[in-house]
Amino acid sequence: MADPNDTRGALRRIWDWFWTPSSVLSVGFVLIAGFMAGILFWGGFNWSVAASNSEEFCVSCHSMETNLGEYRETVHYNNHSGVRAVCSDCHVPKEWNHKMKAKAIAVKDIFYEITGSIDTAEKYEARRTKMAMAVWKKMKASDSRECRNCHAFEYMDFTMQEVRAGSEHQRAIDQGMTCIDCHQGIAHKLPPNYLEEYEKVARALAPGTRPEAHQSARIDAQAIRSFLSDAR
Amino acid sequence: MLEFIGTIAGNILSLPGILGFSLGLLTRRPALAAVFGGLVGLLEAMIFSGFSLAAAGGLELAVSVAVGVVAGVLGCLVRRKGAMV
Repeated sequence: MADPNDTRGALRRIWDWFWTPSSVLSVGFVLIAGFMAGILFWGGFNWSVAASNSEEFCVSCHSMETNLGEYRETVHYNNHSGVRAVCSDCHVPKEWNHKMKAKAIAVKDIFYEITGSIDTAEKYEARRTKMAMAVWKKMKASDSRECRNCHAFEYMDFTMQEVRAGSEHQRAIDQGMTCIDCHQGIAHKLPPNYLEEYEKVARALAPGTRPEAHQSARIDAQAIRSFLSDAR
Repeated sequence: MLEFIGTIAGNILSLPGILGFSLGLLTRRPALAAVFGGLVGLLEAMIFSGFSLAAAGGLELAVSVAVGVVAGVLGCLVRRKGAMV
């Protein structure tokens, strides 16, 4: 029954109630109830994070249609082994702290989806370089951490690779290069002048370090894509 | 800016935010809670950089420790406000 003399506002009354020691609940009850609530909350939180990592979730936005179309033509979508890398495998880190950071930053995508920043082909092309550079920067800075969740130099048998691939991978180890130094555009189309743009990213992250390594890593992406298409 | 905000949010949802807050709940002394939180922040940055200060990165380390300190003090304030012991 509310006290008619109580002049406190609703928020103030809730605040005071929240901080009032319980006179009817035992410590055990509060602890057990808190523990169960914690499990429920954490389960729900983890489920939400996992759900937001699914391919269906990623491409449910209209803005992602171009990305999806390009990705479906690559070896990461369809290949002889039947192993598929979905969006989150490349764009969401596995480690908890990096994953939470990526998820927090990804909230911006909701804003961009609502404002329609890439909702037409023209707008998408206009921002392609900027978006690609943002991803390259992340990958270069993290030593291609997400690539390395599946690919590792340590487990590569260069004798089973094409001669050129084997020698380039050996050179990458020798020169301390990382996956994204050569493998840009493996899941989405490359922006124009992508090599020059990538070198800007590499220089910005490590000024004065071996630009010649990236220079000599120049590859003919179109030729590689054609080769992979022929092989399938 | 986005990177900075993301780093803060990531740390709030990670060890510095959660464990720092929990350790803060253990004491009524804000300074001690801040130290607890700061240590957790430092520990997390070191764990995820393979115990290399160079690999941890100045900003990552600073944000991790700062979030830990704030979470610890917040936990301490909750203890002071909500517990009689």
